[in-house]
Amino acid sequence: MGLFDAFKKKDIVISSPMKGRCVSIKSVSDPTFGDEILGKGVAIVPEDGKVYAPADGVITTIFPTGHAVGMTTNDGVELLIHVGLDTVALKGEGFRIIGKDEQKVKKGDLLIEADLEKIKGAGYDVITPVVVCNTDEYSEILGHTDTEVNAGDELLNIKK
Amino acid sequence: MKEFKYTIKDELGIHARPAGLLVKLVTPFQSKITVDTGTKAADAKKIMALMGAGAKKGTVVTCRAEGPDEAEAVTALKKFFEENL
Repeated sequence: MGLFDAFKKKDIVISSPMKGRCVSIKSVSDPTFGDEILGKGVAIVPEDGKVYAPADGVITTIFPTGHAVGMTTNDGVELLIHVGLDTVALKGEGFRIIGKDEQKVKKGDLLIEADLEKIKGAGYDVITPVVVCNTDEYSEILGHTDTEVNAGDELLNIKK
Repeated sequence: MKEFKYTIKDELGIHARPAGLLVKLVTPFQSKITVDTGTKAADAKKIMALMGAGAKKGTVVTCRAEGPDEAEAVTALKKFFEENL
């Protein structure tokens, strides 16, 4: 295989936006994520509320409530990071938004700061699905599961 | 082309869950389907576009379908918005 072929077939790597334990997306109790309605991915049980850009790209949308962020990576992967389940109902309580729509970001830029204790205290599960919304465009999306990750560690491996 | 207007009644607007369900509903249709909030027109088959359209409670959205099955698509969309949003 020539160098060009190797380059062409290079997998896309998405890093973890948060520090915590990654688990199978299928273990998420909300069927929107567990049944992969929004796409394939993994979920993180976070230990720290800071959400960092998992790759270089552009912020597509940060919900005004701060509970979720969508971004398009420079490779064209549409990622949704959804902090906690049903947390849209918190209407911004416990979330601090740092990034903004259409902002160019580098891997590791801080996007959102979530107060995990406050969110848990309000009765919400803080499990954070990280899903590829344009799953159909890829042949395979593999996620690390049942392992501890730091923000920036490899989380998803995507094959074109 | 067929279209209808709908005022979002759901307190939380089009967030991740309704966006996912909407994409699932419209993907089988051949028609081009858009949800237009007045500021952004989102392709209803793309989750990220729908979530980014910023439809909140009180937003008037125009749903459009254009293609061979536009009548069926609009009927399905109307039902979805009335039941979910």
